Amino acid sequence: ANWNIAVGDGGGSAQEALGLKFIEQLEAKTDGKHSAKLFLNGQLGSEQDTVNDAAIGTLDFSILASNNLAPFSPTLGILSLPYIFENLDQAVQTVEGPIAAELVENTIRDSGVRIIGWTYSGFRVLSNSKRPIQKLADLDGIVVRVPKNEIMIDTYKSWGNNPTPMAWSETFTALQQGVVDGQDTPYTTIYAMKFGEVQKYISDLHYLFLLEPLIVSESVYQDQNEATQKAILEAGNEATAYSLQWLKDQEAVIKEELVNKYGMQIDTLQDEAEWAKKAQEAVWPKFYESVGGKGKVNELLRSLGRDEV
Amino acid sequence: MGSKFIHFIDNIESYICRTLLALFVTLLFAQIVSRQLFGYSFSWSEELSVYMFVWFVFFGASYAAKLAAHNRVTFQYKLMPSWLPPILEFLSDMIWVAFNSYFVYLSYDFVFNKMNLFWKSQTLGIPMKYIYLILPIAFTLMTIRILQVNYYKLIKGIDIRDPDSQEMDELMEHDIDENDKKNAA
Amino acid sequence: MAESSIVLILFGSFLVLLVMGAPVTVALGVAALSSFLYLDQNPIKFVQIAFTSVGSFPLMALPAFILAGALMEAAGISKRLVTLAESFAGPVTGGISAATVLACMFFGAISGSGPATTAAVGMLMIPAMVKRGYDKGYASAITASSGGLGIVIPPSIPMVIFGISAIGLSVPPEAIAEHGEFQSVSITKMFIAGVLPGLVISISLMTLNYIRCKRLGYAGTAEGWDIKHIAESFRTGFWSVMAPLVILGGIYSGFFTPTESAIVAIFYTLFVGVFIHRELSWKDLFRSLETTTWLSGRVLLILFTATVFGRLLVENQIPAIVAESMLSLTDNIYLIWFLIIIFLLFVGMFMETLAAIMILTPVLLPVTYNLGIDPVHFGIVMVCSLSIGFATPPLGENLFVASGISNISLEEVTVKALPFAFVSAAAVFIIAFFPEIALFLPRQFGY
Ligand code: NA
Ligand code: NA
Repeated sequence: ANWNIAVGDGGGSAQEALGLKFIEQLEAKTDGKHSAKLFLNGQLGSEQDTVNDAAIGTLDFSILASNNLAPFSPTLGILSLPYIFENLDQAVQTVEGPIAAELVENTIRDSGVRIIGWTYSGFRVLSNSKRPIQKLADLDGIVVRVPKNEIMIDTYKSWGNNPTPMAWSETFTALQQGVVDGQDTPYTTIYAMKFGEVQKYISDLHYLFLLEPLIVSESVYQDQNEATQKAILEAGNEATAYSLQWLKDQEAVIKEELVNKYGMQIDTLQDEAEWAKKAQEAVWPKFYESVGGKGKVNELLRSLGRDEV
Repeated sequence: MGSKFIHFIDNIESYICRTLLALFVTLLFAQIVSRQLFGYSFSWSEELSVYMFVWFVFFGASYAAKLAAHNRVTFQYKLMPSWLPPILEFLSDMIWVAFNSYFVYLSYDFVFNKMNLFWKSQTLGIPMKYIYLILPIAFTLMTIRILQVNYYKLIKGIDIRDPDSQEMDELMEHDIDENDKKNAA
Repeated sequence: MAESSIVLILFGSFLVLLVMGAPVTVALGVAALSSFLYLDQNPIKFVQIAFTSVGSFPLMALPAFILAGALMEAAGISKRLVTLAESFAGPVTGGISAATVLACMFFGAISGSGPATTAAVGMLMIPAMVKRGYDKGYASAITASSGGLGIVIPPSIPMVIFGISAIGLSVPPEAIAEHGEFQSVSITKMFIAGVLPGLVISISLMTLNYIRCKRLGYAGTAEGWDIKHIAESFRTGFWSVMAPLVILGGIYSGFFTPTESAIVAIFYTLFVGVFIHRELSWKDLFRSLETTTWLSGRVLLILFTATVFGRLLVENQIPAIVAESMLSLTDNIYLIWFLIIIFLLFVGMFMETLAAIMILTPVLLPVTYNLGIDPVHFGIVMVCSLSIGFATPPLGENLFVASGISNISLEEVTVKALPFAFVSAAAVFIIAFFPEIALFLPRQFGY
């Protein structure tokens, strides 16, 4: 068959890289019997829409941010808790471990789609046009655009900032005209969107590691024979591994480009422990229930060798 | 009292839409003022205004159907024998009714059977199910309005026409009146 | 071939329904539904598309600009702007009709729609021209022809719709390799880009107006310019002149986004209408709200079915096929511009502007990007071409409005408007062939 894959982001994104690798592997493992086509830039609908479409069976595959999948299967929200991952290794360890396997099962049960791969899209870092932000106090008075996502809004509020939820389609213009001062997305997005043209400073935040699952419609998956199912899962695994390497290579290159080409300044935070403490205390308790209890969060922390809460 | 109530029901979409329009426009203005003057943004205002807007649009589409205001290409009617256009108009309206009825079934099925039950709006926390309810409701209303227009036209002999052309007629009549006055003077 | 049978079903049933006189939105929806059923796809997709195609923040600019326009009429802002333009008429040959073009430009800077511009300007200027001995038909024709400026000069509802239709379009990787990453079209950039093309069209109209007036013997006033009258018009029209400054200035200085500018325009008008001009009543307010309701409802219902229609085109990769067949015909950019503009002018004769933009942008924009045409430049040419359609038969909204005001037969107004349509079309070719006309200003503003 020739399947359709909906992709939220555009060309050059981590999502596209994962999608292309998946198609290549799928073709190789099925001897060209099955292939797929990417539809970039949300051409097949918004990321949230594609989940319903895949669940009903009118769409085959989709690649979307985990925070857009979480509304359909709330336990996934654990991956978006602020500072749940402190670094890339912790994210990788979780994706490859039993907790992710459990989340995959939950998602099939709750929403009728199966996660078969994970895009590593990097930490969301904060860019702005006003001043370097190196300490929590520097954030004061910066108007930051966030997507209308309650975890992110609550996180900024815990830092004493009042973020502006704004549609993605308005964001570039709003940054350019100074309607808002800053925004947070991974390095790869900042580069792809040419935010360097309208932003000067980047702060190397680590509050949210963006994981973007590749999902398949469970009904489409169940219609396949065993060999094809196996090929789909394996191709997903290969694509996940490739995505990790892609991110490591790309981020290094992009950071350099942002500095050299756009003259951006990248700062590390001097007091990120403080940021983490504030966000954890204010945000985590509100979401214990929806992610399956405080015990689940502790289980994840334990698996990463971190202190329990 | 009774006729007032009927008038209200007959214009229900108009009342709902005017209220929604006034509300979301005011909400957006409040958001701009609050952000620019006080540096404060309401996190729920964008989502709320967009959903009010969607409800406004679909009720508005139903209201437009009541006024027979939906754009059609009609110049070709002038090239046809005069008995043909009324038949084509009626036929195309029945196709519209069929399309809408099917869409009502699809949207009902989506909202009550197919939609994910966890799915909530992000900042308001309202289940999306209730927000999507506008689709079966508005398309049912719209279908009733199309039938209403055809009932008035074919059975009662009252031709409900596009408000665009009505406005034009008012303008023309106004002009003719003026001319008559001048001629009389 | 699957693609060609889909094209046949999709466009075939669309055209049949249009000819039957079905509403545009029904023709699009039923055509898409037939294709879904033919492809054996589940049309339940329609439901989410219905919701998300409409549920987008920038789209709220549409009802907001319509409401602002209706309120400006009721608040006496429109009237004062036109009076100001009229005061510039003076002793020049064809002065008062040139002032009509000027009035349409002024009014265009607060209104986002063509027929609204024609109505507001025509109500005052057509009688004023007739008073100075103009033929009613000519007076109506020049008003109808310059009414299209309302959508070329910012703010502009069609430009908003173009920007939204362009969101999420994707172009072939070869085109990106050659011409760089395809950015979604910024509505602010579109607005700035419309200014000079608006001037080019105005100058073309005024030039032809001068020639025709000279032939018809429409001289100006004997007394020369009435400076006192001009000053008085400025004084009474101060708050009206401020309106475009508030709208456009606010956008460019970063106080608000284009979508929000429409909202600010509404409240500015309410303020002026209630406290300064004291002309705005509750009745006016309710009436404006009502008009906005059905106008928005009917346009945005088209957006829903046009999006489903466009989704089918995308999933079956029709735009790529169109691009290929077009490029196999010729790769001369001027020839391609020529074909596109003729096609757009033809579409503009029959179809409502916003529907045309929603249907054609997903097909044409990837094609023109392939040729290295800037999406903003293409959008401007598209809007300019379609703006001419307001004054061409058989569906010429501005002609209807103007003939309604002057009580002159539609045929006579149409015939007298045709020369203006030709000169505007010539202006569109100039705007297409010299991209700098559209792109110079945005670059100066740092876009
Ligand atoms: Na305008
Ligand atoms: Na026309």
